[in-house]
Amino acid sequence: MNPLGSAAALVASAAALVRSKLVALATAPKRFSVMIRRAVYDVRTGKRTSWDVTKSVLMTLFGLAMVLVLLFPLFWITSASLAEGSRLFNTSGIFPDPSTYNLGAYRWVIFESDFFFVDGDWGYPQLVIGGGGGLLPFSFRWAGTETGPGALFNSLYIVSVTLAAGFGMIVPAAYAFSRRQFVGRKRILYGYVLFTQIGAGLSIATLVALYSLFSTYGLTNNLFVLGLFYAASAIPFNTWLLKTYMDNIPVSYEEAAMVDGASFLDTIREVILPLTKPGLAVVLIFVWLAGWNEFIIAQTLLRPENYPLSVELYNIATEGRFSTPWTRFAAFANLFALPVAIVYFAAQRSVEDGLSFGGMEG
Amino acid sequence: MASSQPGTGVSGLGRLRSALPFSSRDWGLLLVAPGVILFSSFMLYPIFYLFYISLTDATFAGSVIGGGAELIGLENYVQLIGDSQFKTSMITTWLFVAVSLVIKVFLAVGIALLLNHARVAGKRYMRAAVIVPLGFPGIFTITVWRGMFSDARYGVFNTILGRYNEFMSSLSAPELLLFDVPIGFLSGRWEAFFAYVTTEVWLAYPFMVIIIVSALQDVPRSLHEAAMVDGAGALQRFRTVTVPAIKGPVLFASILTAATSFQQFLIPWVFNQGGPSRQNELIIVYGYREAITFNQFGLSAAILIVGIAFVGLFMFVAVRYGGLAEGVGDE
Repeated sequence: MNPLGSAAALVASAAALVRSKLVALATAPKRFSVMIRRAVYDVRTGKRTSWDVTKSVLMTLFGLAMVLVLLFPLFWITSASLAEGSRLFNTSGIFPDPSTYNLGAYRWVIFESDFFFVDGDWGYPQLVIGGGGGLLPFSFRWAGTETGPGALFNSLYIVSVTLAAGFGMIVPAAYAFSRRQFVGRKRILYGYVLFTQIGAGLSIATLVALYSLFSTYGLTNNLFVLGLFYAASAIPFNTWLLKTYMDNIPVSYEEAAMVDGASFLDTIREVILPLTKPGLAVVLIFVWLAGWNEFIIAQTLLRPENYPLSVELYNIATEGRFSTPWTRFAAFANLFALPVAIVYFAAQRSVEDGLSFGGMEG
Repeated sequence: MASSQPGTGVSGLGRLRSALPFSSRDWGLLLVAPGVILFSSFMLYPIFYLFYISLTDATFAGSVIGGGAELIGLENYVQLIGDSQFKTSMITTWLFVAVSLVIKVFLAVGIALLLNHARVAGKRYMRAAVIVPLGFPGIFTITVWRGMFSDARYGVFNTILGRYNEFMSSLSAPELLLFDVPIGFLSGRWEAFFAYVTTEVWLAYPFMVIIIVSALQDVPRSLHEAAMVDGAGALQRFRTVTVPAIKGPVLFASILTAATSFQQFLIPWVFNQGGPSRQNELIIVYGYREAITFNQFGLSAAILIVGIAFVGLFMFVAVRYGGLAEGVGDE
């Protein structure tokens, strides 16, 4: 497979997805008004009684109220991130006074905290000719800053290692579990299912041992190894998830492709991967989250200059035991979590499809 | 096995496979091996090492690394049996798992039924919104919940309760229905426990809702319609059509989320470090605290090994009798 071509295809399909989401969002009011007119028409022509329509409206309102209650913490913290000063509570009510809303906390995150650059000291990239020393005759250098890249880059580095290692191991293994028979298949799969839910808790439980082992082998303060570690913790659940997803793709599709002269790799590329897309999307999100969110292991194994965003966030939250700087915390956390949450929100259909554990029902 | 592996890499397999008969069935192992090796070296090996530490009198990381610790057999485990803190921790942990699981199941089934109901408009958007908590980092949401459960008079829940009190008194309701604000959510034992459970339920319901919704969507409409034609009421339809459809998935999600709850660390740690006065230390917090605060690595390792053993046993029983691994041996 041509890597550039597949990358372009990936970008194109992502763009198509975003476009279809935007179209759906833009047409939502229109569809909503059509629905209401339809209901009014149905009542006028006597197809539905007005009590029937009222029941639907009440149920919808109830659903909306429930969504608002469930998401209350997120509204609350977002409003707190816009508030004046660092105090969380005020005597006037739960939400801060809207007239004091400002973006000061976000300014702090971008230009003063370690989020993008240490101490918010932004620089600019500079092309250096001849100084590469590697394969290329030129290199890029970050200039104009005395401190260097901040926590975001550490996080992105960890996540790229986690994603690369995780995907490289999960996808082929899920395929093999779903389609092949081999020695020890049942036993390994059984072990994976057993360990699915032990992932995150287990890494804290074994923290004591991990710290000793990592120190012994000189692996502490190493972002690459940490990324691998997160990939390892994500393997059982995601391999199992993807395997159950692939089980729902009929084998006859591959057989038909083979009869038509497709090679083994062709069936993977043309049949398995396209049909597994929702499952792959879910695995992508989960593996990303495994590397992006964890902070206890990171805090234990890394030194401050290598802290990712999650550890920085924890440090802000616990700066003073009784005086969390709430507005800054909220702004930092929103910038940290929002990109992931948006992707997650957009991929909701895939998440529902991919997490259905098709084989589980019945 | 060695003779049945014609290709040592995936690259040449396409050509080889079409030329050879099915003598190469074991090559699937090659695709699985990297993951197994990575998982074993980062997850399984540390467990064995942790077990080794639990058999020593190690006091801090240095004594483990430097080899200053001596094997003392099962002494740490014997010490645990008589330890009242261990007992408190175990009971609290199981209670936490049980209470949060029951609430979770009812809440998630309710949400899933509502957001899959024919009468609710825009349910796809609502479902997308409702599962968002799963996408936020735990440290973020848990710290936010700590802020909401603040002991302060103007903390969110205390404010809400204050409003509720005002409202009730305006109706001249009896004193019994009023709350004694401000409630110290994080400074009382059961208040803190209540706060833990609320947060845990909030963190775990999205996963359950997703699984139940997809089970509900697999129920053919005709089944409901047939039941309606037969004159079944809403309650009866729920019992005869809905419950059988979601029973399996609910059990499945319960097992997975219960195992996660058992290992909950962040909530107690961020809220009040398992307090007040160590009364709410869930098992992982207890083990972590023994190592980090009290420099009892050996004892801490023993506690954590017991915790892992419990989860392992729980998962084993669940996998065996809950049909969790149904897909494992079906081919």
